[in-house]
Amino acid sequence: MTGEAGKAQEIFQATMHEAALRAAQGELPKDRLWLFRDARGRCLEASESGLQAEEVEMEHHEIASCAPEQIGQLEPAQLAIWVSGAPEPQRSALALFYLDHFNHEDLLDLVELKPAEFSKHIANGRQQFQAWLNGTCPQEGT
Amino acid sequence: MKMPPLSRRQRMLVLCAPFNEGRITDRAMRAAVFRVKKADEFNHQLAFDRAVAEVIKHAPVPPEVAEWFTKETTVAPPKRTWKTIATNPAIVAVGIAVVVIATVFAFRLLERMSDFPGADTARKLLTTASSAHSLVLDPVETDAGALGDLFFMKHRLNHYDVPPEFADLKTLGCRVFDDEEGHRVAQIFVIEKHMQFFLFPAERDPKTGATKEFSDWRYVDQEGWTGVVKQKNGVCFMAALHGREKELTPYIEKVKP
Repeated sequence: MTGEAGKAQEIFQATMHEAALRAAQGELPKDRLWLFRDARGRCLEASESGLQAEEVEMEHHEIASCAPEQIGQLEPAQLAIWVSGAPEPQRSALALFYLDHFNHEDLLDLVELKPAEFSKHIANGRQQFQAWLNGTCPQEGT
Repeated sequence: MKMPPLSRRQRMLVLCAPFNEGRITDRAMRAAVFRVKKADEFNHQLAFDRAVAEVIKHAPVPPEVAEWFTKETTVAPPKRTWKTIATNPAIVAVGIAVVVIATVFAFRLLERMSDFPGADTARKLLTTASSAHSLVLDPVETDAGALGDLFFMKHRLNHYDVPPEFADLKTLGCRVFDDEEGHRVAQIFVIEKHMQFFLFPAERDPKTGATKEFSDWRYVDQEGWTGVVKQKNGVCFMAALHGREKELTPYIEKVKP
């Protein structure tokens, strides 16, 4: 979400601190996804205050059959930077979708999107990422 | 394999289907994914998503963060709401079954509540009436009320008398036979409305041997046949016809004061 490990750690600690405070006061929210909602909110705040990614029209490429090999060549940090550069709410949708931590209903709840919007952001994200991959890690025949 | 034709909604669900099958909890999404399971396009999508997730899995996590990062500490299990419980197919099936059983039970209870001693025998005799033919009877053309003497003289059946309400009806024939329990039953064929009369012993208490009494006329029906039963002197009389209760009602009302 932030594209920076240090910033992410700060946000994580702030969220846990908030959770601990609320727990001590017996005021933990009933929302079972509260921790993620809070962390996402802090990430959005942090990214708004930092450098903003320039909005550019991204290319869309069809998913290639060799995509898994292309992705396998990436470092986690490269992927993190790509995701953090996506505009909101696509960034949240991609980050939470690929975390493999939530079911579909939870994802929609967390990113506060309608199913069609969420689907569009994920599908576009894939094709944009494929276009980026084709430029970054070209394979034979792509 | 090519992508099968999908509705707009199914296409939308497939595009954002979790790459981990265990995360697909939505029924519509599961159905949509099932349709495209063998399609190359969907399999490329799955492979793409899984490869991305694999990279994320290998992202270095600081130890102080990692120790917190378990599902158990971050996401509470989803609460089951009344809506989710009510729409579960298993619950719906059980609900329907319970309603059907309750309806049958209530119907049987109502039937039992309106029952009278000897009702079971009366129902069996209605089945007999539906299959009986006048050829099996001894031809006797007289008033039904006169047959009481015949039953007494010929078969030694005491109190096998036709009540006054039906005594004037003309008969075609009669017979006496033993039912499944060995009770003597008299059967009379009547010209009017092809009615049949039955006279049979009233139900008795198995312990005391006393007759189980009931007052006035009682209706009973079975397989489209209706009977009206009255008990007197330990013998039940039943007038039966193929039809409804209302066709018998005029006979039993005409004698009432």
